[in-house]
Amino acid sequence: MSGRIRTQLLKGTTTLLVLTVLRDGELYGYEIVQRITERSSGAFAPSEGSLYPALHALEADGALQASWRESDRGPRRRYYKITKTGLGMLEEHAQEWAAFSLGMARAVGGANRQ
Amino acid sequence: MTALLSVVILGGGVAFLIASVALVRRSERRLGTGPDESGPPVAPGQTGAAEISAYLDLMTAKLRLPAADVAEVRAELADHLRDSIASLEAEGFETERAIREALGRLGPPAELGRQLRVAHQSTRRLLAGAGGGVFAAGGGFVLGYLGGIALGLLGFLAVSAVVALLAAAGVHLPNIIANDGGTKINSLLYATTILVAAAVATRYAVRTSAGLSRRAPRTVALFWAVAGALVFGWLAIFGMRGPQSWLGVALELCVPAVVIAAAFVRVERPMPHVGRWAIIGSAISLVVLSLGFFAFSVSSTSGGALPSLDVCSEPDQSTSCQPDFHLETVAPMAPAAWLPEGFPLNGGSYSFGASGASFDDQVSSGQPSPPIAQALSNWTDVRFEAWHALPMNEPGPGGIDTRYSAPFAVQPAVSSGSHLTAVFHFERLRDASSWWVVPTAVGPDGHRYRLDDGQGGISYFNGSAWDWLTAPQ
Repeated sequence: MSGRIRTQLLKGTTTLLVLTVLRDGELYGYEIVQRITERSSGAFAPSEGSLYPALHALEADGALQASWRESDRGPRRRYYKITKTGLGMLEEHAQEWAAFSLGMARAVGGANRQ
Repeated sequence: MTALLSVVILGGGVAFLIASVALVRRSERRLGTGPDESGPPVAPGQTGAAEISAYLDLMTAKLRLPAADVAEVRAELADHLRDSIASLEAEGFETERAIREALGRLGPPAELGRQLRVAHQSTRRLLAGAGGGVFAAGGGFVLGYLGGIALGLLGFLAVSAVVALLAAAGVHLPNIIANDGGTKINSLLYATTILVAAAVATRYAVRTSAGLSRRAPRTVALFWAVAGALVFGWLAIFGMRGPQSWLGVALELCVPAVVIAAAFVRVERPMPHVGRWAIIGSAISLVVLSLGFFAFSVSSTSGGALPSLDVCSEPDQSTSCQPDFHLETVAPMAPAAWLPEGFPLNGGSYSFGASGASFDDQVSSGQPSPPIAQALSNWTDVRFEAWHALPMNEPGPGGIDTRYSAPFAVQPAVSSGSHLTAVFHFERLRDASSWWVVPTAVGPDGHRYRLDDGQGGISYFNGSAWDWLTAPQ
C-alpha cells in the first residue's frame, strides 16, 4: 500500500526530480534512477517505465540535450544534459513544489491538530 | 534597377534552394539508421534473450517514429536493461528472475512504446513538420523542375542518338514529330519537367515533415499524397500553361498518380545524396539550358532557321517572292476593277500577345486612306480565314496545304478607318501549327474572293492540359 501511495505521489514530480539531479551534471537513464534513489536515501524510487517518456518529452521541449558517447563502463550511453531552458523550467517546478508542499504541510498539520 | 531586382530575385532563389536542401538533409539525418544499436542486454542464445527481444519488439511496434529515433530508443532501453539486470544479479537475483524483474519495472511494453511516441511527437514538432514539409516541397519543386529539364533534354539527346545510329544502319523510323514545328518535343519536355518536379517535391515533403515531426515517413505519406495530388494535380492539369500535345497531356494527367507513388513507394528508404544530386542536377540543367539558349541565339542571328515568309501580291513577281502559295485554293483574287484605290490590301501585319494573334490589314495607298467600310460597301461577309499551311520550317515553297478544302478557323473582320482587323487564338487550337491567314469577302457577283495574299506563320498550343482537352479540334 505504501509503495502505491509513493508511486501516486511521485507521478507529478518526475520532471522536478530529473531536472534536479541533472543540474549537477550529465547522466544517462539508469544513472538518473540511481541518483534519485541515493539522494532521497531510498525514499523515492521513480518508475523506470515513466522515466524515459519524461526524459524524451523534456528533450522535445528543449529542456534537455541528449548525446551518445562512450561510458566509463560498457557500451555507448545516451547522456542527458540540462539546458538553459531546462534550468528555467527547474526553477519554476521547484517554486511550484515549494508552494505545494508548504500548503500540504499546513493543511495536513491543521488537520492533525484538530 | 531591373538588374538589381534580377540579382535580388536570383540571390533569394538560390538562398531558398540552399535552405530547403539543408532542411531536407537535416531531416534525412533524423530519418537515418541512428546510432549503432547496443547489443541486447543478454547475448543471443542466453537465458532470457528471447524474452527481452520480444519486449523490445512489442515496445518499438508502438513507437511509429523515424528509424533513427526507434534505434535510439531501443538502444537506450537495451542499455537500461543491461544495467538493471546486472544490478539485480549483484543483489543476488538469478539471471532469469533478474530479467523478469527488470522488464517488469519498465512496465507493459505497448504502454511504454505509446508514452514514448507521445513524448516524441509534440505539437511543436508537428507544426515544424508541416511547415518544413511545405518549405521542402517548394524547394523540391524548383529543383525537380530544373532536374526535369535536364532529364528531358538528355532523354531527347539519347533518343536522337539512337535514331541517328539506326538511320546510319539503314533502319528508318517513322518521323513522329514531322509537321508539328516541334510541338510534341516541347510538350514532352514541359510535361516531363512538371512530372519530375511534382514527384521530387512530394518526396521532399514526406521525408522532411517525417523527420521534423518525428513520425515514420509512412505515417505522414497519406497526408502528403492527398495534398500533393490535389495541388500538383491541379497545377499540372489546370494551373500551369505551356506547349501541349497528346503525349504531353497524357503525361500531365499522370501527375496525381506519380505524386501518390512518390509519397508511398519505398518512402522509408533514405535519400542520403539528396543535396549532392540536387546540386548536380541543377548544375547540369543550367549548363544545358545555357547551351540551348546559346545555340538558339546563334541559329536565330545566322538566319538559318526559318525561310522568309514574305508574301507576294499577284502582280508582284520580284525574285525574292515565292510565285505560288496555292492561294487559289482559298479563293481567286478579287478583280482589280471591283476594288477601289488602295487595293489590294498591303498584306498587313500580325502580332502575338496574351490576347491571341492579331491581324491587321490596311489600304496600302491613297492619302488620306479611304474608310475601308466605304470602300467595301458592295462586298459582304468580310472575314479572315485561317488555312492549314505547309510546314514552314522545311524546304520548299510553303503556302496553303492543298489537302484541305476549307479554313480551320474563321473570324469576321472588324473595320476601323482604313484597317481590317481580326484576332485568332491559335494558341488555343490543337493543330494550328503552320497556318496561312487571308482576308476574303463575297463580291458583287456573289462569289468569294481574297482581298490580298495574307500571311503565314507557326503557332504552338499554349495552355493548360485542361485547355488542350477542351480545345476545339
